[in-house]
Amino acid sequence: MKYSLLVLSAPDSGSGNLAAVRFAEAVIDGGHQLYRVFFLDRGAATGLASTVLPQDEQNVAGLWSALAKKHGAELILCIASALKQGVLDETEATRYEQAAATMLPGFELGGLGLLVEAMADSDRMLTFGG
Amino acid sequence: MAESHKTRTLLVFRHPPYSSSLSRSGLDTALAAGAFEQPVTLLFLSDGILQLLPQQDSTSLGKRNHGKVLASLPLYDIETLWVDAAALSDCGYAINDLPEAARLADQALIRDMLAQHDHILAF
Amino acid sequence: MLLHTLNSSAQSAATRNCCDLLTAQDTVILFGDGVYAGLEGCATSQLLRDSGAAIFALAPDVDAAGIGTKLATGVSLIDYAQFVTISAKYPGQMAWY
Repeated sequence: MKYSLLVLSAPDSGSGNLAAVRFAEAVIDGGHQLYRVFFLDRGAATGLASTVLPQDEQNVAGLWSALAKKHGAELILCIASALKQGVLDETEATRYEQAAATMLPGFELGGLGLLVEAMADSDRMLTFGG
Repeated sequence: MAESHKTRTLLVFRHPPYSSSLSRSGLDTALAAGAFEQPVTLLFLSDGILQLLPQQDSTSLGKRNHGKVLASLPLYDIETLWVDAAALSDCGYAINDLPEAARLADQALIRDMLAQHDHILAF
Repeated sequence: MLLHTLNSSAQSAATRNCCDLLTAQDTVILFGDGVYAGLEGCATSQLLRDSGAAIFALAPDVDAAGIGTKLATGVSLIDYAQFVTISAKYPGQMAWY
């Protein structure tokens, strides 16, 4: 089956984001296709590169990056949500004259059209929030 | 995208309009679906019905007027805004207070809606 | 026939709404703070069971909460592989958080 996920919460708050990446891993391990993961609203903070976590805390964003690296998972940060939270790729950093890009590898910025496309093309779409 | 069967997505709104950005994100998703001509149904449950209250003026908050945008959704071919009838009466408003596109949904209809859509996105 | 996921506390509006809408054809997966709703003796776990829906709780969150031996009968532990298997059977998922 073709799965897409909508992630609405940040990696360091609540339980939705970690559950989403564990679910995504299990989708792939279960032989299904992970079509797209769309990070919207607070979810877009997942792509922020400049975070420094305490040593005893799991790097949830790193789990997503690893999924992209290992399996080519498509991780889209809603561009409007990302910009609001300071996540910029090279293009946006130049456009808005910011000092540096702040986005983790493995993620891309994209519009809500990509979420709508996932709605149209996926067999299963799950929301992870909170 | 296949034309033979357009997937139907239900967008469920459960939060008030201004304190969380989720409500705006959900509404922007509805607008995007309208723009790309993908069928969506909007359902407002619990605190979500507060997004539809009349006479919102968000100027001092410096935020987009949520109620106004919701009321304009028929322009994007989203003709109906389904409202949890019990939640509405619990906060002392009536259907006539809400935008013209608003319609009441009881528990039975809400269950049907949840069961009959291809996807559900919860905001 | 709906899959509900619940990661909100037992006292929250989200949990109440979920319980109100559950039918016997549904499945509920408790995770995050939602696992506490599966506690034996908790009013919410009774409501969940009264609905006739199948109730599951995600093991990592149950372990974190320390409540593995305190779950109500009728609440079964699952892992993420089983979460995916369940999701394949249900077209729609309602996320309560």
